[in-house]
Amino acid sequence: MPFRWSSLSLNRRLALLAIVLGAVAVFAGDPYGGTSTRVSAKELAVIVGSEVDHVSSGELADWIIQGRVDFRLLDLRNEEAFREYHIPQAELVPMEGLLDHGLQRNEKIVLYSDGGIHSAQAWFLLKAKGYNGVYILRGGLEEWKDAVLFPRLAPNATPQEAAQFERKAQVAKFFGGSVQTGNAPEATAQKVEMPKLAAPAPSAAVPSAGGTKKKKEGC
Amino acid sequence: MAERAVTTQDPRSGVDERARRTAQPYWNPYLAGVGLGLVLLSAYVIMGRGLGASGAFSTFVSATVAKVAPSHAAANSFYSEYLGDGSSSPFKDWLVFEVIGVFIGGFVSGMLAWRVRRGIEKGPSISNGRRLMFAFIGGGLMGFGAKLARGCTSGQALTGGAVLNVGSWAFMMCVFAGAYAFAYFMRRQWL
Amino acid sequence: MSAPFYKFGYFNDEFSLVLALVIGIGFGFFLERAGFGSGRKLAAQFYFTDMTVLKVMFTAILTAMLGIYYLSVVGFMELSLVFLNPTYLVPQIVGGLVLGVGFVIGGYCPGTSCVSAATGKIDGMVFLAGILAGIFVFGELFPLLEGFYNSTPMGQITLPKLLGVPYGVIVLAVVLMAVGAFVAAEWGEKKMAARKGV
Repeated sequence: MPFRWSSLSLNRRLALLAIVLGAVAVFAGDPYGGTSTRVSAKELAVIVGSEVDHVSSGELADWIIQGRVDFRLLDLRNEEAFREYHIPQAELVPMEGLLDHGLQRNEKIVLYSDGGIHSAQAWFLLKAKGYNGVYILRGGLEEWKDAVLFPRLAPNATPQEAAQFERKAQVAKFFGGSVQTGNAPEATAQKVEMPKLAAPAPSAAVPSAGGTKKKKEGC
Repeated sequence: MAERAVTTQDPRSGVDERARRTAQPYWNPYLAGVGLGLVLLSAYVIMGRGLGASGAFSTFVSATVAKVAPSHAAANSFYSEYLGDGSSSPFKDWLVFEVIGVFIGGFVSGMLAWRVRRGIEKGPSISNGRRLMFAFIGGGLMGFGAKLARGCTSGQALTGGAVLNVGSWAFMMCVFAGAYAFAYFMRRQWL
Repeated sequence: MSAPFYKFGYFNDEFSLVLALVIGIGFGFFLERAGFGSGRKLAAQFYFTDMTVLKVMFTAILTAMLGIYYLSVVGFMELSLVFLNPTYLVPQIVGGLVLGVGFVIGGYCPGTSCVSAATGKIDGMVFLAGILAGIFVFGELFPLLEGFYNSTPMGQITLPKLLGVPYGVIVLAVVLMAVGAFVAAEWGEKKMAARKGV
């Protein structure tokens, strides 16, 4: 019997369409797409070149002092390092758990690690997965130590620089660091004790209220 | 099943049919289903979640209890889940707005089809009073069961069904099973 | 552009509430179009005289399921971001049975009772009041029920994952089951009508 689409009633057509789509589905593949991601290479190259997504230690220090809670600070190191010292307000997130941490794609995220390699890699990963507000702490914890915690005034500093340094000293004090003197950074680095974080980070509770308020999605 | 216009109230069905306009026949159920499915799909595409109804009612109940007895509501882990952290009104909730939309959409469709009229839906052999009593009891069971199952037919069966959720499919089968099993005892009300 | 749009931050929470309203309007509209403002029509499903509930529900599930599947397969939708209600098997089974009984006693479900009330049906409004009462009772009893409520958790699990079968195969199975149910429903309705002499 010849098959005519036009001779079928509406209901039969719908049923046939559904069956065909269902049959094709068997071969069409995995809707979860595996673990592949899509990146726009050109776009990323432009962003990387312009460094718009870098945050300097000074800037981050200012944000924390101002009590800003419109961003999430992620520490990408291991638990031991985190316990020894972490920047106030930081959350410990291992690289493997990054995508499961409940980050929103439109919130501001600042990543840091010891140097900057891990944070750069994590940045790329998040960017590829569509996170739009990811920033890297330039220089990582190393630069944080040098610029914020233990600032050093060069011996031949101008009076202007000295005045600016006063502010840095106050910032250092805020974070429990101290001003360094002398010309032997390496020696000093060995003996320096990381500031103990006495109280929990001032806004430890706030990130959950601000960015990750439990949005019910049930019914 | 089209309803014909009559000038007097039908004593058997109890529906007020004083309206002179003829109510339009219902849509082809498969087309209505496709329409519903597209709405559900759009919710998934836009919000990443499906539809729902019982959640909005839970919010309403929780907010009412909180108004009357705030400490009791806060101490109860069920109510407090719907009250949020207090930073914004519990009614600023996606489901609450969606359910308001359901009222509006139902009304609009009913108006377009001349189906909005006061009445009581029931079978011919039961009184209005008894029907309303059953409506209340049925609603009570529905509310209780929906909370136990974490959703109702919209939220669990439709929404979860579309994403092949195990619990949702199990729930859906049980809804049909429970209804069919008990239908015999309610035949006087409907048939 | 990727879906779900909200999860990719294309708009904020406030706007999502506006969208909720619009989506809800569509939801209520099609529920009423199908005739679900009428408790009689809904209950008739369980007497085999009018199988609209089954037809509408499963068609809707088919449509959305196929839409979600294909949009995900072509990469437009990120399925892992889509909400999946965690499964608690036994409470959901018991809740489903209770809900089914309530459905045939009251004649509505929460969504359809809104539509019914909106089109002037007093029994729909009373049913709505009943839902609120039922939720209140649940809430008050919750300390006692909490253990049961959280029992038999299975996490977020789909049928393909549970059965160890590819997603597309389950999609086909659901389509075939639904179409089979439709054929049976049409046949059943005709038989009941013939028997009634309609």
